[in-house]
Amino acid sequence: MNPTFTIAALTIKESVRRRLLLAFVAITAVIVGLSAWGFDRLAHSHRITSGENHVAIPDALILFMFMFSFVLALSASAIASPAISSEIESGVLMTVVARPVRRIEVLLGKWLGLAVLLAGYAAFVCALEFVVVWWTSGFVPPSPVLVCVYLFAEGALLLTLSLFLSTRLPAIAAGVIGIAVFGAGWLAGVVGTIGTGLNIAALRTVGQVGRFLLPTDGLWHAAIFYLQSPSVIAEHITEGGQGSPFYTDTAPSWAYLLWVACWFLIVLVGAVASFERREL
Amino acid sequence: MIDEGSVAHTAVDVPTHSVGGRATQSPAIHTVGLSKRFGSTVAVNSLSMTVERGEVFGFLGPNGAGKTTVVKLLLGLARPTGGEALVLGAPLGDRETRRQIGYLPELFRFQALLTAREVLRLHCRLLRLPREEWEQAARQALETVGLLDRGDDRVATFSKGMQQRLGLGVALLGTPTLVVLDEPTSALDPVGRHDVREIIRGLRERGSTVFLNTHLLAEAEHVCDRVAVIDKGTAIATGSLAELLGRQTRLRLKVGGLGEDWWTGLGRFGRWGREDEWIVVDGIDPSGIADLVDQVVALGGRVEAVIPEHESLEARFLELLGRR
Repeated sequence: MNPTFTIAALTIKESVRRRLLLAFVAITAVIVGLSAWGFDRLAHSHRITSGENHVAIPDALILFMFMFSFVLALSASAIASPAISSEIESGVLMTVVARPVRRIEVLLGKWLGLAVLLAGYAAFVCALEFVVVWWTSGFVPPSPVLVCVYLFAEGALLLTLSLFLSTRLPAIAAGVIGIAVFGAGWLAGVVGTIGTGLNIAALRTVGQVGRFLLPTDGLWHAAIFYLQSPSVIAEHITEGGQGSPFYTDTAPSWAYLLWVACWFLIVLVGAVASFERREL
Repeated sequence: MIDEGSVAHTAVDVPTHSVGGRATQSPAIHTVGLSKRFGSTVAVNSLSMTVERGEVFGFLGPNGAGKTTVVKLLLGLARPTGGEALVLGAPLGDRETRRQIGYLPELFRFQALLTAREVLRLHCRLLRLPREEWEQAARQALETVGLLDRGDDRVATFSKGMQQRLGLGVALLGTPTLVVLDEPTSALDPVGRHDVREIIRGLRERGSTVFLNTHLLAEAEHVCDRVAVIDKGTAIATGSLAELLGRQTRLRLKVGGLGEDWWTGLGRFGRWGREDEWIVVDGIDPSGIADLVDQVVALGGRVEAVIPEHESLEARFLELLGRR
């Protein structure tokens, strides 16, 4: 087996034995269970009209998925930030890199193992929540698979950034920086949305630059787009919803997705180069 | 011969052995002016040494002498800032050469949530041993280091000494040509230390080279063919133990049938004296002992006991360090 896959399999096995997956699955099941009750109450409420319900269910789902996108991103940072640095400090990596393996294989193996875990968790959350919403309200997002893909991509970007930081910084520093950068990116997106709503060019530019420097917020908005049906989007436009950070009326452009792919590659190559040069 | 701190600032010129006129393998380790700086701190200072294949080479020095840094340089875990070196005839860090090297780091941990057997299988996989050999290799390694009955226990439940034993087992996987052991007995009890010595002797018998990095002189004295003493990143002495301890020794004699001060005419052998019932000759060349005994017999003496005493490695080690 290629050393990359060996390291990836090891990473997954260790995470499973640390009961990391069990903890995520358990807490997710509890939260989704509670959301099932909430969506059921919302869908069968006599206080709102069926027209309002048509908008309220997708909006509530967006809020719910926003919370999970946060959990996913923070989890990505939490599991990636100690991946290299802690193993260097403890000496675990010393026995591995002295073997006939390339460091790039070790790093990519770590990334792959963590990315598989992240993808599995994103798929589990999306599938569970979408089934719950469909079951309680009958609503199905127009592109559930794309929502899942963009949420995973958002987490994967932060995972890659944290792994890069982990090649040079202690786990705690890498984690804190990763989360802080993610928060700053989200805030820049909110500022940009407000700028768009109020038509303030400077604020709008902050959002645009933010999504360029750290594309996590751009990917979150891509997920939002595919959570909404065209009729809901049209309704938001009518009501002037452009000022809401939980709304978007445009799908991500190919140029932006290309930039996201470049961003990801640049950071991953940076992580490999940094680890290659790191003395143990 | 003892080479005290000699340094050659030349390109790597690999010595080869000649058998029947044919050049054979390069040395296991050959360094020329190998250096490593961390900022203004010099960790390894122009180190030149050669470790022949099949020998147990002791790399001795006090704490902080730069021993572990040298090991890391040899294994490609750190980059030298000067000089050159070849390991098993290949440049430092050569990936394919690492297949032939077993390494027990000084400070290390294995994946705590894996069992000992899983750790060994992981390293079989990283070594790219054929899958059908994994079980046998893991079993043999566990048996060699005395952990066969704990093979299915997680590493997290192991004591430090047991982890060190497991580390040794991992280093022995794949029948390595060169085994680098960095302080292999630091966490072991006397039984463990004895076991490690036996393992090292076993490695020598099967023709492996052992590079033993240690500050425990007794360990080196027991198993090493040759040693290098390093201090402040520089080799201050290299050679066999006999060479390092000097050719001169102290001889204790018990002789009957002769009068007082009968050795007056034998001053060329060394400095004579008496300690209780023993006659002591200091500074005698070991090659002259047989000749001296012949002389005593020729004088009509009855030789009852002859005990050569070498200077201890510890004494020589302290002398070397103190001299600097």
